[in-house]
Amino acid sequence: MRKVREIKKPDIKIDMTPMVDVIMLLLTFFMLTATFRAAESEAVEVALPQSIYSDPDNKMRESDVMTLSLTKDGDIFVDVDNYKIREKIFGDQFAIGLYHPDSTSQSTVMQTGKAGDKEIKRKVVVMNKAQFDKVLVDLKNSLRSVTGNKQASFQVVVKGDKDVSYGVFEDLMASLHESDNKIFSLVTMIKSESKKE
Amino acid sequence: MAGGGFDAPEVAQGKGNKHKKSKAAGVRIDMTPMVDVIMLLLTFFMLTTTLSAPQLMKVSLPKGDVKDKVKVDMGNVLYVRVSDKGNIYFAQGRSDGSESEMKKVEVKNIATELEKIYAVNNNLLLLLKFDRKMKYNVMSDVFDEISRAKIERRYAFLKMEDADLQKIVAAGG
Repeated sequence: MRKVREIKKPDIKIDMTPMVDVIMLLLTFFMLTATFRAAESEAVEVALPQSIYSDPDNKMRESDVMTLSLTKDGDIFVDVDNYKIREKIFGDQFAIGLYHPDSTSQSTVMQTGKAGDKEIKRKVVVMNKAQFDKVLVDLKNSLRSVTGNKQASFQVVVKGDKDVSYGVFEDLMASLHESDNKIFSLVTMIKSESKKE
Repeated sequence: MAGGGFDAPEVAQGKGNKHKKSKAAGVRIDMTPMVDVIMLLLTFFMLTTTLSAPQLMKVSLPKGDVKDKVKVDMGNVLYVRVSDKGNIYFAQGRSDGSESEMKKVEVKNIATELEKIYAVNNNLLLLLKFDRKMKYNVMSDVFDEISRAKIERRYAFLKMEDADLQKIVAAGG
């Protein structure tokens, strides 16, 4: 026994415990982040278009984000990530705003309870153009009163379905312009350069 | 020497341990398979998180009132018209208010075409006129290409007028 060990096997044992600890922490972190992101985007599902360009200085904020989702049926959903503001503006912590800009057609969300192919589980507040424009301004004002920061403003992100007609986006731009949200971002999915051709 | 002095007691300790080892029957659990699995999970979640992070393309609308008129030298504008079918046409403005012949451009060539035109005139303003019936996808593609072109981006979204529609129809829809 003694002879074998001394000559052949130095028997090096590395203590893996600290490494496992760190990896466990990382794992927990990534698991939570991944789940959180998915849950947040669940309200309205849209098929995002792809783009190659991405602005390295322009990242999605962790909080104070206003999401405008354009479904392929031409509905615009407006949502913010602060439940206090939602309660203030829409009268319910989990409510989501709906505006159908095309006056020649009706939004089918209220009848079917679906946005795109996905069921809407949250209370929907339907608005006309005047109400929608007012809500865009009110949201910004209530963010300032809730946070107590007079300079605070939402990061406005537009999640357009790739099959929605441009007219809906044009109407949305007009409303954003009128409500003094001059800078906004289009959300897209990454597209690899090679796929393009 | 510090090194030698450090090594020596370690060896001695190792020899001395032999007696202790037999006493304290240390239960060792092999962690390797667990670490393997955790590593796999970690890699999976890291990749998923990165992939699901959306990209943002910044759009800035001009400041000021909607009714505010901005005076632009018509010789310094480039019309980008997109038909309802998603065909993209470039036309360069002239100082007298007229414009050059419309030129059809493929989506994938927009960036290079723009760079070519901007090499001649660097002060161009892009006037984007999209048909309302066009798909959002096309708009984001066009915007993506404009963002990718190595030019100083100045653009404005304009309403598609009847005159524009006629020009597009004349050019092939």
